[in-house]
Amino acid sequence: MPKSDLEEETLSETQHTGPVDLLIGIAGAVNAGELQQQVQQLQGYQGSHVVVAYPGASEVEAALPAESAFRLMPYSLPAADRSLLPWAIASTAQRTICAMAVEMGAKVCLSLHSDLATLDTRHLELFLQAIAEKGCDLVLPVYPSRKFEGLLNHSILAPLTRALYGQRVRFPLTPDFGCSAQMAARLSDSSPHHAAGDGALLWPSIQAALSNYQVCQLRLDIQHATQTEGLELSTILSSLVGSAFSEMETSAAYWQRIRASHPTATFGDMGQQWNDGEPVDTKPLIDSFLLGSRNLQEVWSLVLPPVTLLELKKMSRVDPASFRMPDEVWVRIVYDFALAYRLRTMNRGHLMGALAPLYLGWVASYAGEVAGLSPMGAEQRLEQLAKAYEENKPYLVSRWRWPDRFNP
Amino acid sequence: MSTYLNALRSAKSAGSATDPHWYKDAIIYELHVRAFADSNNDGIGDFPGLIQKLDYLQDLGVTCLWLLPFFPSPLRDDGYDIADYMTVHPNYGTLDDFKAFLAAAHQRGLQVMIELVINHSSDQHPWFQRARHALPGTPERDFYVWSDNDQKYKDARIIFTDTEKSNWTWDPVAQAYFWHRFFSHQPDLNYDNPLVMEEVLKVLRFWLDMGVDALRLDAIPYIVEREGTNCENLPETHVVIKKIRAAMDEGYKNRVILAEANQWPTDVRPYFGDGDECHMAFHFPLMPRIYMALRQEDRLPITEIMAQTPEIPESCQWGLFLRNHDELTLEMVTDDERDYMYLAYSADPRMRINIGIRRRLAALVDNNRRRIELLNSILFSFPGTPILYYGDEIGMGDNIYLGDRNGVRTPMQWTADRNAGFSRANPAQLYSPVIMDPVWGYQAINVEAQQSDASSLLNWMRNMIALRKLFHVFGRGTLKFLPSANRKVLAYVRQYGNEQVLCAANLSRFAQPVQLELAEFEGTVPVEMLGYVEFPPVTKQPYPLTLGPYGFLWLELQPAADTPNESAETNDIVMLEAGQRGDWEILLGGANADKLKNDILPEFVRKQRWFGGKSRHIRSASVLDFAPFHDGNSALIIAKLEYEAGEDETYFLPLTTLYGDAASLLKEASPNAVVTPIRDAKGEGILCDALTQESVCLELLTVITGKKKIAGAQGIIEGFPSSTLPSLTENKGMPHNARRSSAEQSNTSILYEDRLIMKCFRKQEFGPNPDTEIARFLTEHTDFHHIAPFGGSIEYQREDGTSATLAMLQGLVANEGDGWAWTLEELERYFEASALATLPSENEGKSASELIKEHAGIYLDAAATLGRRTAEMHLALASSQIEDFRPEILEPDELVSLGHDLADHALRTMSLLKTNLSRLPDDAVELGGLVISRRREISARFQNVNTVRSRLQRTRVHGDYHLGQVLRVRADFVILDFEGEPARSLSERRKKQLPIKDIAGMLRSFHYAAFSALARHVARRPEDHQKMEPWANLWTRAVSAEFLRAYRETAAGSAVIPRDDHDFRLILDAYVLDKALYELGYELNNRPEWVRIPLTGILSLLQ
Repeated sequence: MPKSDLEEETLSETQHTGPVDLLIGIAGAVNAGELQQQVQQLQGYQGSHVVVAYPGASEVEAALPAESAFRLMPYSLPAADRSLLPWAIASTAQRTICAMAVEMGAKVCLSLHSDLATLDTRHLELFLQAIAEKGCDLVLPVYPSRKFEGLLNHSILAPLTRALYGQRVRFPLTPDFGCSAQMAARLSDSSPHHAAGDGALLWPSIQAALSNYQVCQLRLDIQHATQTEGLELSTILSSLVGSAFSEMETSAAYWQRIRASHPTATFGDMGQQWNDGEPVDTKPLIDSFLLGSRNLQEVWSLVLPPVTLLELKKMSRVDPASFRMPDEVWVRIVYDFALAYRLRTMNRGHLMGALAPLYLGWVASYAGEVAGLSPMGAEQRLEQLAKAYEENKPYLVSRWRWPDRFNP
Repeated sequence: MSTYLNALRSAKSAGSATDPHWYKDAIIYELHVRAFADSNNDGIGDFPGLIQKLDYLQDLGVTCLWLLPFFPSPLRDDGYDIADYMTVHPNYGTLDDFKAFLAAAHQRGLQVMIELVINHSSDQHPWFQRARHALPGTPERDFYVWSDNDQKYKDARIIFTDTEKSNWTWDPVAQAYFWHRFFSHQPDLNYDNPLVMEEVLKVLRFWLDMGVDALRLDAIPYIVEREGTNCENLPETHVVIKKIRAAMDEGYKNRVILAEANQWPTDVRPYFGDGDECHMAFHFPLMPRIYMALRQEDRLPITEIMAQTPEIPESCQWGLFLRNHDELTLEMVTDDERDYMYLAYSADPRMRINIGIRRRLAALVDNNRRRIELLNSILFSFPGTPILYYGDEIGMGDNIYLGDRNGVRTPMQWTADRNAGFSRANPAQLYSPVIMDPVWGYQAINVEAQQSDASSLLNWMRNMIALRKLFHVFGRGTLKFLPSANRKVLAYVRQYGNEQVLCAANLSRFAQPVQLELAEFEGTVPVEMLGYVEFPPVTKQPYPLTLGPYGFLWLELQPAADTPNESAETNDIVMLEAGQRGDWEILLGGANADKLKNDILPEFVRKQRWFGGKSRHIRSASVLDFAPFHDGNSALIIAKLEYEAGEDETYFLPLTTLYGDAASLLKEASPNAVVTPIRDAKGEGILCDALTQESVCLELLTVITGKKKIAGAQGIIEGFPSSTLPSLTENKGMPHNARRSSAEQSNTSILYEDRLIMKCFRKQEFGPNPDTEIARFLTEHTDFHHIAPFGGSIEYQREDGTSATLAMLQGLVANEGDGWAWTLEELERYFEASALATLPSENEGKSASELIKEHAGIYLDAAATLGRRTAEMHLALASSQIEDFRPEILEPDELVSLGHDLADHALRTMSLLKTNLSRLPDDAVELGGLVISRRREISARFQNVNTVRSRLQRTRVHGDYHLGQVLRVRADFVILDFEGEPARSLSERRKKQLPIKDIAGMLRSFHYAAFSALARHVARRPEDHQKMEPWANLWTRAVSAEFLRAYRETAAGSAVIPRDDHDFRLILDAYVLDKALYELGYELNNRPEWVRIPLTGILSLLQ
């Protein structure tokens, strides 16, 4: 985001802060009083200059003791479409926070979830250590995961990022992250083709890959409330997966040259990482898949090659207990949808709607497979899927470069 | 005033591009607004119509739209006859329509290029109407070129031979003739009138202010006229272009000028200047040769023209095309080639116009889809920016029954509906009939049909464009042809950074096998780029490929798959960890020192143009000493290169660190200048060649002017101004701008405005540098002023007292080019003039000079001037009693030793020739054999030197004297570069020698120039080969005679030459022969294809 994209009053505020060591930005609406209380509990920053920025208009700085290292600063977000999904609003806020960090000359910038779960001394220290001591440019959290949670991330977003950009990060799109000054500059300027506040998602890990900046992960024992409650699956797919597909379009020249992924240095305690999740009833998922298979054949056939359509047809005939979607089939489905998205084979909203039953089919297949496995076993199953994404990348590249419909 | 200026500035619209080199990666689409889409159904295309089609163009993937002229015009030359430069022809809409189009194009990421037709205007332009009524001699009249008769500029050819009989047309109103290089209704503007330039710049600013991204300069070689020339490519033309470019750079970012110069590549090269004229120029001669290669099923026409294509500045780019709105021009081919092209591609005479063929791409190749694809694959993969002509993406045809070039300018075929979907007007109302025949008609060929056909040419083009855009290598990379026995296959490698692509094209209608030498890419895996298919890895063995009829392959040569750990390690090696900024101890020392020594510096040095040891394998490159300067941001580094075999060498490497945007810019603009990435306490940056940075160059100048001393660990770097430096800067003070010269060879030169030049010597030897030493001596101790005045030097003095010269400062001499280039130009004229003449008989008692006086023009006088200056230089060098310059007598035993040395050298060269005889080009084998057969005679010539009885004097000499070492300056010459032969040791180069050695060098240079120019002439006119060789010999003899005559007259009575004529001849012949043998050795080792020149030289010397 260029300088001028900061709201005028925010820009004016940032210009009067003086040099800042650390900017902590809260990427969403927050209660200023609660924030003030929590900041007062932070310890160990004497002699530093730390600004805590939050979206809002009220000034509560006066309530902090004069000797405090912290200063609270409200910031304004660009006027955004009210229909934007929570993560789109968060992305806008994250970009603004990074732009403020650039303006203030902050050495480190942390963008944190508005539930303030990450805003405590221990977590902040972990982020700072990774950036200041370990030399990381971008620190992404690894949250504890249950077997059946975060599946959209595990089945598409994370393995796609890994295969395309070579970054093995567990959560490429997170509500919390920390970054160095140069990474903040990159993130603040990462979507020149989008207007401020248009809800374009911010993919820090992709931006780091494009800049060849060092990425690290930090295990955090935090769980944020899920943000997808009450939303249509096709809406979620359109927003999250659609955004990942858009990024593919703009960075094609980069990811087509990446030939292997690399492990990402990960710090922090493993203790609380693995949780078993609630068992999943796969029947409604399979029903949705079957319904899609009956109604969406025509649409799917515009996107998928005959060999995949044949596989899907076979799947629709098996009994629910043995319902399985092979990794290769799922991965190629995702790749073919990415290509159709690029080629605008049909309206993009409709396209992502057509992906929904296929995704539910994959979830059913995965749930059936890992039901009897330990959380570690489920994790290994996801690793297997991620490898399938990498192994099938040449399929994507060849389809992308020569999108002939006449293919196997 | 400033408020006013600010207001003006803020009124400008920015161009749409953010990358200053956007044009290198562009795909340009040429279209005529009139022919594209008609929105108001008047039968003529317009801007609103074009706006409606922008989505189509964006979808096609093109990135820049080139609009043919859309200005008010009588339209007698398709709009190239402009009657008002600053608005839009009402047929196409309004200025607001254009602005709306521009905004819509920019919104889609499309750049826009328009025409700047500044050679001529329409005769309806108010400027012309005003001029013809104005009194002769008034500024208004002088907007155009007038004459009382039609006899001026007789040497200028007529371009439109089909319609024009003269370049002059009588104007009854003005009662005078006006000049026009094109149609008689297009009078040429007069650039000798400064008001014309002012008006042209107003036009330029008008469109650039609006946000136009690029301008095509039409017919640029013809804008200035001078008597006695062919009125093309004149030096004054470049002055005009430089002014236009300066005006553009001054007020606008990321804009581009494209030159239309239908000339040979070597003649187009000056239009790029030093990167300060045009950003782009069309490569005209390549286009017909691609068609010729296809028809002949032989790659030779393409490889030959590319071999004649010179290097261009890094910021410049060729514009490549297969077809355009004009005829397929055959101006830049030989007569035979032209005849062949006519026979091959225009069976019906109606297909021909002027000197070319007026057909579209698909029609030229008989509508064969595979041929179309093959030609486009070459277009997209050759070094340059591809330019597509509207309609060629769907394979549109032409209508040869329409007049002029209108047959290739018919309406775009959008659909199978009425008028091809171009317009809903009455068909009779269309500006041109649409194509309607059964093969090419719009019912068969149209966008709509091809969009719905997955296998259509349109979809193929779209995929190819998208693919090309994924790789910067195509727009920015180098080109190297791969030799193979099968000439039906054209194979080449493109390289840019870590991208390397192998392209192979089968020019034949049948499948072809080929074996390619890819040993240098051993270990890489070719991945077919369209389908991402891996091929077997490359080994040392020839790589076999089979290509189908008209097939082509693009293979990305990828490194063998790496493992994560290997990659991490690689990162570790190349990234240097620094401490605080400016801490060169840490940056160059500790663990970094090993990385620099073993990997980083050897790799960096190997990529530099100035590195002379490219054939040697560098084992290591260690930093011997460094001196931080420029506030610690840069350091002057002395590095030692160790080789696998042979002596170590010392090099001078000024390095600097860059961060942020400055680092990104350099990485983009000059990747080879980057040494390695670095990371310090504040962030990441790069270590790079400091001489790429203007601030460093200016700081270096202050080292001399301020007599600064900079301490290194092992010695001191110190600036020494000459006594004449104040006079070089006194008028304008110290320069504020500096730039690196693009003409870089073994050294790096920095130009300080147009006043000073600093030569940084890259390869270092300890001891006095002869270049500095002689320049200083001649400037400060003699009256010889035909050299670039010496301004000072930067010396590195070690603790042991030895020193080396790091850089030398001189006054910059305004010149017309170096002697070599100027001579070649003169020779080109000489051969052109002689081609039609009969070779004069030498039995008429006339000297060679007299025989060719008519054809050689001013060159005979120039040779005499050069002879005089050479003698004056020798006299000056022999004029002092200073120890290092005092002349010495050549003792008899030294004369004997000289004869032996020359004979030994001959023996070694003969042996080299014998070893390489079988590898010589076909046309040189016989000559090589003849020379070997006369080896005894050669040896005897050198032994004869012993018989000289005259007193001979040894003095300091130039040491490497040839035409490339002199500058042509206002009918005179300035002598440069007293460095001596770079391959010799310092002590050899400083040795006192017989001045005749320099004379011999120049005589050989005349011979080389004559035969190099002959080779260029013959490349264009092969039929002249036999006929012109005697002319070349005659020229060499005449020019050499004039040079010698003037030299001897000037030096007469002095001791620099033997008084006895016989002795003079004997020594001179021996040195000339020795020089020819030296050249033979050089060519055998470096350029075997040139070996014919020294061989013919040796044989003619033996006659």
